[in-house]
Amino acid sequence: MSIDSTGFTKGELAKYPFLKETARYLSPLDLQIEDLVSPDMHQILDRAMERVTLAITDLTIRPLSSEQGKYFLKDLQKEILSFPVAIMLVSATGNSFIKKRYALAEAKQATCLLALESKMLILKVALDFSWKIALTSSDDVFDFILYFSDFLQNASHLHDAKWKLVNSTLSEGNVYLNKRNVVRLLQEEIKRRIERRFSNVSIDRYPSEISVLAEKLKTLAAERIEQAETDFPKIVVQEAFPPCINALYDGASKNHHLSHMGRFALTTFLVNIGMSVDSVTELFVSFSDYNERLTRYQVEHIAGERGSGTKYACPQCSILQTHNVCKNRDDLCKYIYHPLRYYQNKSKTALQDQLKNSKNTQ
Amino acid sequence: MSSRDFVYSKFAEFYNNPSSFIPAPTSFEHREFAYLMFKERFMVRHKRFESIQVFQSVLTRNVPSDVYHSCAYYEQPDLEMDKKGWIGSDLVFDIDADHIPTKCGKIHDEWLCQKCEFNGKGITPEQCPLCGGDRFSVKTWLCDLCLESTRVETAKLIDMLTKDFGFATNEMHVFFSGHRGYHVHVEDEAVRSLDALSRKEIVDYVTGLGLSVLNKTSKEKFGKGRKRVATAKKFKLHNYGWNRRLKIGMTKLLSTATVEDLKNLELRNNNLFKNKTVILRRAIEEGRWDSIPGVSVATWLKLAEQVKNLESANIDTVVTTDIHRLIRMNGTLHGKTGLLKMEFPAHQLDDFDPLTQAIAFKKGTTKVFVSNTPEFRLGGATWGPYKNVNVVLPTAAAVMLILKGRAEVAN
Repeated sequence: MSIDSTGFTKGELAKYPFLKETARYLSPLDLQIEDLVSPDMHQILDRAMERVTLAITDLTIRPLSSEQGKYFLKDLQKEILSFPVAIMLVSATGNSFIKKRYALAEAKQATCLLALESKMLILKVALDFSWKIALTSSDDVFDFILYFSDFLQNASHLHDAKWKLVNSTLSEGNVYLNKRNVVRLLQEEIKRRIERRFSNVSIDRYPSEISVLAEKLKTLAAERIEQAETDFPKIVVQEAFPPCINALYDGASKNHHLSHMGRFALTTFLVNIGMSVDSVTELFVSFSDYNERLTRYQVEHIAGERGSGTKYACPQCSILQTHNVCKNRDDLCKYIYHPLRYYQNKSKTALQDQLKNSKNTQ
Repeated sequence: MSSRDFVYSKFAEFYNNPSSFIPAPTSFEHREFAYLMFKERFMVRHKRFESIQVFQSVLTRNVPSDVYHSCAYYEQPDLEMDKKGWIGSDLVFDIDADHIPTKCGKIHDEWLCQKCEFNGKGITPEQCPLCGGDRFSVKTWLCDLCLESTRVETAKLIDMLTKDFGFATNEMHVFFSGHRGYHVHVEDEAVRSLDALSRKEIVDYVTGLGLSVLNKTSKEKFGKGRKRVATAKKFKLHNYGWNRRLKIGMTKLLSTATVEDLKNLELRNNNLFKNKTVILRRAIEEGRWDSIPGVSVATWLKLAEQVKNLESANIDTVVTTDIHRLIRMNGTLHGKTGLLKMEFPAHQLDDFDPLTQAIAFKKGTTKVFVSNTPEFRLGGATWGPYKNVNVVLPTAAAVMLILKGRAEVAN
């Protein structure tokens, strides 16, 4: 049986406006940026604004509600159109937090709806993303088989151990999955597609009305970010280093040979907790017979002061485990998947303890 | 003639010989090429060539000691790293005796502490037993046992790539690395675009890292305010992926192992041996894991852990996860041995003998002064052991001993 990804109903496009078919549906309308501010478009613009606002505040976009399962055609059209308009609004903010947050909210919303759909519709959506996927025979305990590379592209970003390939039901290139798991993997795929769409928007100038709305959204986002802000302490708190970094630090200070991954993890960690290139270089040179010029060059590279200008991220725990750099795991490690999160967590308590101690001694 | 000049002249002869066949990697124009200059000892990188013929003429002119190409495909392979435009990368595995315990215990390797010059044989210690230093210069060697150990690991890898990942044997390129191991390249379209994180998952699969069926407690609940809850764990295995591998491995182990073998694996529960026919039938075939008298969840977990160690393949984790990796080019010489990196069909892994089939220098003999070498096999004959003697050896053997730092050309 051949199944293609075309032939979604309007109701389905309203629920899943990120599908390729939405573009085919919209192209005859030839929507231009200037049209957005025309009076007969204001309802669409309002709904687009609502999508983004809700995404920022509640991480949802609240789908169109139906009366006894029926939609009015007019509402469906508005709903579908509001999606590309929302994409433009988000692009107009140029704000990476809003972009990420909006993509996540849309993806989460879509997966909530997909979970209620038939296997056939889920299959059609997956095929829209060119997944190599098929339904299993009806007597199988699993619902779908998915080619391992499509599984990995999405599952490798999920932290629960059940998503690791080593724990999967891999056989002859395919992973056997139930409906719920496929829907969860689709969430990752949807999120990525929406994030990619922001980089495809190329508009030099937005109408002033749009810019005003974009400013509003940015203010809203700034409030959210402030609430969630959890910065690293201004000083380096060595007692809060995770055990893996401590082992590397210790090794470097005793002039032991560190593996490439070990050196990379230590340097990226120190740079990311706010140590300056000078201090990190000094540290390495003082420890050992490292060549200062070469060390400085490498540290500057990692800190993004050379080459492409991107600051390298510190590898997450699972990467350090793969390359045997993860050492002496402690209780806190069990709840954490990134060395920097460990530091963030522990430095808070370490600083509080210090404060307490200094008060006690006064 | 110095020993270095002698080897250089042999490498030059090889690259100048029109019958030395160097196969072009696929998507040639999208690969980065690199080579290590024989005499100057620096790496020429970020090169792109129009054709294999042009590249071969460069090799003829420059005579490098080692030749590499990128596993990756780039828009512009000759630009600097972040401007190349990464398109994709082959999925590459490296199995090297350097990284794995071998049956020979590396007794033929010699190490020398760079700090206090204390030296010894075998596996290089982490720290010098005399001064505590941890930098060593190492003279490695390759023996049949080293190669056999890497062959076994390669066989396990190929089994996973075919049965679990579904690659046909003709989709996998298997090579002798030219030194102490094997390379496996998968060039399938479906794996080219995988990012480093996805490749890490493949590495963890191959090495069996993170298998949650081996956890001693069942699923732990955690989060703010909630304490870890350890509930009694049940042991069971399904018929896919690593679960299937564990079942097959358990069957293999229990049907062949003696009591002693099991003890050596720290499996001291006698019921495992006594009840093995019941275990094979009731537990492994029928899935009634809790029906074996005297075999508790803890024993199953121990058994499964040991089977995982036996069945996983020992690969160099860094090579597979690096999506910009340079890899030795097929058909070129290895600068540590003078042997060829050489492809052979995956199904011939058991029969391929690197020490006779990957020899580049097939003609002539040379008189060398050998300082110290164990007995070794090369080109269908066995040589040595030698200690401080002049011997006339076939060119391939002389080149290898010189490159291994065990001999000099005798004047």
